[in-house]
Amino acid sequence: MGTTVTHAPAMEDLSKDSEPRHGPVKSPRPAELKRRGRRENLAGYLFMSPWIAGFLLLTAGPMVASLYFAFTDYNLFDSPKWIGLDNFSEMFGDPRWRHSVQVTIWYVIVGTPLKLLAALGVALLLAQKRRGQAFYRAAFYAPSLIGASVSIAIVWKAIFSDDAIVDRTQKIFGVNVGGWTGDPDMIIYSLVALTVWQFGAPMVIFLAGLKQVPRELYEAAEVDGAGKLRRFWNITLPMISPVLFFNVLLETIHSFQIFSSAYIVGGGAGGNACGPADGSMVYTCYLYVQGFENSRMGLASAMAWMLLVAVALVTAVLFWSQKRWVHYEEGAS
Amino acid sequence: MQQNRKVERRTILKAGGASVAALGLGATATACGGGSGAGDGTVTIRYAWWGAEDRAKRINETVKLFEKKYPKIKVKTDFQVYTDFWKKFNTQASGGNPPDVFQNAIGFLRKYDAKNVLLDLSEQVKAGNLSMDGFRAGLEKFGEIDGKLLGVPVGSNSMALVIDKPVYTKAGVKPEQGWTWDDFDAAMKKIRDKAGRAGDTGPYNVMYLYDLYLRQNGKAFFTEDGLGFTEADLKDWWTKAEKGVESGIYADQKKVAQIKPKSAVAAELSGGEFTWDNFTVRYSSEGKSEYGLAPIPTTDGKKTGQYLGSLMLSASKRTQHPKEVAQFIDFMVHDPEVAKIMGYDRGVPATQAQYDAYKPTDPVNKEIAAYEESLVAAGVLEPITPHPNGADVCEAAFLRLGEELGLGKRSVDDAVKQFFTESKTALSS
Repeated sequence: MGTTVTHAPAMEDLSKDSEPRHGPVKSPRPAELKRRGRRENLAGYLFMSPWIAGFLLLTAGPMVASLYFAFTDYNLFDSPKWIGLDNFSEMFGDPRWRHSVQVTIWYVIVGTPLKLLAALGVALLLAQKRRGQAFYRAAFYAPSLIGASVSIAIVWKAIFSDDAIVDRTQKIFGVNVGGWTGDPDMIIYSLVALTVWQFGAPMVIFLAGLKQVPRELYEAAEVDGAGKLRRFWNITLPMISPVLFFNVLLETIHSFQIFSSAYIVGGGAGGNACGPADGSMVYTCYLYVQGFENSRMGLASAMAWMLLVAVALVTAVLFWSQKRWVHYEEGAS
Repeated sequence: MQQNRKVERRTILKAGGASVAALGLGATATACGGGSGAGDGTVTIRYAWWGAEDRAKRINETVKLFEKKYPKIKVKTDFQVYTDFWKKFNTQASGGNPPDVFQNAIGFLRKYDAKNVLLDLSEQVKAGNLSMDGFRAGLEKFGEIDGKLLGVPVGSNSMALVIDKPVYTKAGVKPEQGWTWDDFDAAMKKIRDKAGRAGDTGPYNVMYLYDLYLRQNGKAFFTEDGLGFTEADLKDWWTKAEKGVESGIYADQKKVAQIKPKSAVAAELSGGEFTWDNFTVRYSSEGKSEYGLAPIPTTDGKKTGQYLGSLMLSASKRTQHPKEVAQFIDFMVHDPEVAKIMGYDRGVPATQAQYDAYKPTDPVNKEIAAYEESLVAAGVLEPITPHPNGADVCEAAFLRLGEELGLGKRSVDDAVKQFFTESKTALSS
């Protein structure tokens, strides 16, 4: 890279930088090229060093350590004791753990499709040319930017409390279930609502996908007399299926990792970190409770690895399934 | 070659610049974390406690007072609500970076002593930096575990029934020393019927109240190394609770969950709740009504099972300034001005000097003083229940499972079974 001299105007602007490469000398010999390449590599690595160090020290290192802790009894203070698979057998036997798995799966199964539906629906609306298009796109995207923040979670909790806006609105329709945040069965739906509201990121990706669908296909279909629904079903959906697949994958993985919103919306309820009667006790919340409240870092590490394995499995299944429903333009299927 | 050298130098300069920048960032980060001593002999100690906004205001004032008297010691403060405090503390302590001095309570002494976190302050007492003289009611012994001085009491408190006075008056209920649980139940019904609100927030998941109930019956929540009651005991207690929730004499847990961290009493969801007597100070700042203290119901008409509890100040074993920390604690427990600022926020002051310095003039604090005096006069105070390592986890489980029961998400049998499973794990580690 960077050894061939191009005449792109951008390069000319950086005349100082490109000077040595231009040089009045004849084109460099291979050995010199190699050396130069190595030097540039070195420079590159030096520049990256803060990130490499960060990755090794803050991500890779702790991951390896937590893999080890997963097989130990470790309370942060005493040195870890090797206990083999005990953490895993305890985990599977723990009803609270099973409950957290249930809550999480429920959240993923309900939340992810709803979010993608919302994203696709709005993307279809915004794909058409209309006035103020840029504004609408920005407006719909905004929740994605702020949705993960602590302040939004706090506002969310307020919105879904007793006698707050949601409670009052549902009362107008004769639904009298009270605030959702105090109800062990309903609190998870306030979290689902929160994630659905943040449909902006998949929406943008859908929009990009929709732009790629060739106009001719629609025109041809229209000539053949295909209605709107039919065009969507037979052209749009297959054509954007790679994008859909990408979004399903990303959002599913993302949903499994829900923590901060569950922790805050459900937080402060009695001795619970995660909702009344563990109503919003998603997997990562329980992991946090075991690790930081009960000081059982070994068990918490085992739980974290279990989650990783589970997410990997789900991802694998999704990849396997794509053969059946994802259409790549150049591909055979 | 010349060009090459040029490239090299520039590359290195750039790369060097980046590394320096990275190093610089790293250096500032360390500077924030570590340094507590400055060149001029000034030291900085970190002080952390749990509590609400109101307590923070008072404590910051006392810290200012301390810094005025000891200009060479700077105090950096930090506070959280109770549960968050311990999470943060636990993480800091495990990372070898706990605050130098912090608020503590009996339930955590053994736990953190076992983890080698607490400084034995008796060395500092010997060195004359901290005086353990002049404490009331034997309180100087409260922070002693296995011959080590791990905490210095700042105040004493006792469990009480904190009530919304106008509600009790409206219902025509007048609790008296020695009233029984049957009287209490009757009173709850009266409040529900006449004042139109739950009589109590729900006594069934308050570990310290169940402890008193057990003590009235010759048992206790904990022994030195385990639980002091059986599954059958807890089944009885929670079966009664379930009925109370159904009949509406205890507050709707759905509503209670939503107003946390505000108390249900201050939020007018219930007529009262069992908690520490110094909490009336907090409720008075949270709620609009007038709050008072009522005696603990008894089983035999006499014995309440009560004891004095205490908030303490402890020091970290890792502190680099044990002397300054000792001076700080000494100032906080003995200085009369501190007592005037704190009032009974952390209980009735532990030392006689502070007790004498603050004579309450407002009804809330006056009532706390009168309540504690009445306990002494009634002669109901007994030695405190031991708190084994893991007691805090048991307390959290008791609170949570009781709440799940109140929400109807768990049957009594299931909740009892789960509590025993969880507490056995906690107490055996």
